[in-house]
Amino acid sequence: MTALGEFALWIALPVSFWGMTMGFVGGRQGRGDLVLSAERSVHIVFALLVVASLGIINAFLTDQFQYWYVANYSNRQLDVFFKISGLWAGQRGSLVFWAVLLALFSSVCVFLNRRRNREFMPYVVGILQGILGFFIVVLLFADVNPFEQLGFVPPDGAGLNPQLQNYWMTIHPPVLYLGFTAFSIPFAFAMSALLSGRTDSRWIVLTRRWTLLSWFFLSNGIIFGMRWAYEELGWGGYWFWDPVENASLLPWLTATAFLHSIMIQENRGMLKIWNMSLVLLTFLLTIFATFLTRSGLIESVHTFAENTRIAMIFLAFMGSIFVASVVLIVYRLPVLKAENQIQSFLSREAAFLLNNLILLGAAFAVLWGTIFPLISEGFTGTQIAVGPPFFNRVNIPIGLVLLALTGIGPVIAWRRATRRNLKRNFAIPVLVGLAVAAFLFGVGARDGYALITFGLSSFVLTIILVEFWKGTRARARIEGEGVLPAFLHLISRNRRRWGGYIVHVGVVLIFTAFAGRAFEVKLTDTLEPGDTVSVASPFGHDYTLTYQGISSAREANFDRWVALMSVDRNGEPVGSLSTEFRWYPSRQMSTKEVGVRSTLLEDLYVILAEAEDFEGIVANDPGAQRIIVEVQVNPLVGWIWYGGVILTIGALIGLWPAAEVRKRPTSQSAGDSEKPAAVGAVSA
Amino acid sequence: MKNGRFYVGLVGVGLVVAYLVWTGVSDSMVYYLTPTELVAKVAEDPAFHSVGVKVSGRVVSGTYSRGERELEHRFEVHDLEHAEVAFPATYEGVLPDTFTDEIEVVLEGQFGEDGVFRAHTLLTKCGSRYEASPEELMGSEVSA
Repeated sequence: MTALGEFALWIALPVSFWGMTMGFVGGRQGRGDLVLSAERSVHIVFALLVVASLGIINAFLTDQFQYWYVANYSNRQLDVFFKISGLWAGQRGSLVFWAVLLALFSSVCVFLNRRRNREFMPYVVGILQGILGFFIVVLLFADVNPFEQLGFVPPDGAGLNPQLQNYWMTIHPPVLYLGFTAFSIPFAFAMSALLSGRTDSRWIVLTRRWTLLSWFFLSNGIIFGMRWAYEELGWGGYWFWDPVENASLLPWLTATAFLHSIMIQENRGMLKIWNMSLVLLTFLLTIFATFLTRSGLIESVHTFAENTRIAMIFLAFMGSIFVASVVLIVYRLPVLKAENQIQSFLSREAAFLLNNLILLGAAFAVLWGTIFPLISEGFTGTQIAVGPPFFNRVNIPIGLVLLALTGIGPVIAWRRATRRNLKRNFAIPVLVGLAVAAFLFGVGARDGYALITFGLSSFVLTIILVEFWKGTRARARIEGEGVLPAFLHLISRNRRRWGGYIVHVGVVLIFTAFAGRAFEVKLTDTLEPGDTVSVASPFGHDYTLTYQGISSAREANFDRWVALMSVDRNGEPVGSLSTEFRWYPSRQMSTKEVGVRSTLLEDLYVILAEAEDFEGIVANDPGAQRIIVEVQVNPLVGWIWYGGVILTIGALIGLWPAAEVRKRPTSQSAGDSEKPAAVGAVSA
Repeated sequence: MKNGRFYVGLVGVGLVVAYLVWTGVSDSMVYYLTPTELVAKVAEDPAFHSVGVKVSGRVVSGTYSRGERELEHRFEVHDLEHAEVAFPATYEGVLPDTFTDEIEVVLEGQFGEDGVFRAHTLLTKCGSRYEASPEELMGSEVSA
């Protein structure tokens, strides 16, 4: 089975190159037979990559440690769940996984377009097969073959890094990869538009849902990663501006910009070159992110020797895509002229354009900070790094402007906003925003950025609520419906618009949660059984934790030491918390499991920082009970996860095919991908 | 014309972002050095002892011990390539899970005149990249 998988990977190589060639030649010469052959090759590559992936999973499930990859990421004791997810636990498998996801999307795309949009399909298939071929080349020739054998059979594998043995870490990479790979489809359509000469907005209409699908997965992938960091890394934070995190944020920023700028092209016929550039940039950043997260280029600059071949291949690929795409855009410049001009700063076009510039500015700043050590070494010979303060300093002001635009963009008038339009839409929300900020200042909140965030969040939420209210009321009056049916019909009649507003609500909650960090409280204390530690919440109440003791236990895969604390809130008992220390003998690694008590407004978060004497605890020595704990109150942190859920609901509403389209499947657009949307619903 | 005014806006936004990046870099940048480079720097210019730096190296096996204060950790760090270049370091705070006494670490702090590096942040190199060498796998035993 595993050998078959390796065989399938080798066969996929010529098939993908065949498909790429036939796509381009068939498109160029208008030969339908060649195009059909190219399209079939997409399904074949998908099937072959599925076989390759199953081969790897099979090797994990049957403990075939003669494979280098299995030996490094599994052992006999590992849960079946983590053995299956071993496919994407490390660099080698995740490259196969990336390829199989892209092949899945390519296959779905070819299937949905089997009878329509034929003018695009030859080049779309050629480009998708080219990308797939590249990944297969990397797998086979860049020293990252997942089927590589050790030449001997170790008695057991090294096991999976215990930090990765976490539910969130298991779904975080696949969701992110779904986002990365889904974006290849809009890119392929954009380039196909340039190649075929059909440069109107058709390609954007066709790929709108793919773009949203990609964005939806990227957003959730990032949020899952934050959740993992929060639960598993045990320092109470969820974002550290680590190069790997930044790599996943970069395509998200540019994809967000693209998602907005295509609306201007659709509505006003502007920004055509800009959109082509954004789709190219986002695609390159998805490749860059895959490359960076899995090559270790940045994090280990001082030990760069690891695997330069894969770095060179990736850079060559990104370089050629960049050059080819730019040549194409320049070649088609004459037909990419804007049909309209921006008439006023106070217009929706201008607001969207500002949103784009700001998102790109943020992407540039994040990229700059991430690769700054390399740049400075190139110029000065010494590495200079910038840390979280740099990213926060640049991105907080940018984020605040973006937050304001989240409210302004959707309601300001196209072309030119009149004084009346501004007053009608913004007077009440501005007052609400100011009132909230003033109230919070009045009750003692003193962090400037946080106050601005809370004010702006209230401003945006008010705008969205008013919009929903106006729409519902109008509909209820015209159609004579009750409020709830009117509300639901309102959304279903223009899913894209109202889904977008709901996404905005999610984003606002997430921004509010970020601002909550300004009020976090943390302290450490040394405790003997019976000792208490008190911590005051910024919401006015306080918690008192009483240390009950620590005990040890042995599990199949690890040993654990569990410290138990009872929790009182304002003197009333509200339950207990446990935090533990685990030791994984197979990996010779330890983890700390945090204890969290979540409420709507805040998390009480306890970390077992140290225990005095682990052996003494195992031996039930009563004198060995002393521990050090870190206690934190993290205000509003839960709003990130709630915001993520709301964002997911909004994105699914936007992704859902419109009702009238479902009745007439022949006019369904290429982006109508019910299947991936349903997958999203399951993973979310 | 209208569009001319617009390009002014464009350039304005660009300038603001550039300003933020520029001041952000100059306010938060730190030298990122290997222990060998750090030792050479302070030998060249003793004032460098008071400059905050980031240094990446490996914890010397067997040197880890708990300090006297709560959550104080002491260990030695050596250069990845020149193992003979080493110095003692201290860190106060909760250690990351991946910390062991032979792991690669990135410390941020000051290299005091007494030759001790006082770190205010300690990062370990990413755990997902951990891969065992064939020799380690050969010797691994089936644990019950």
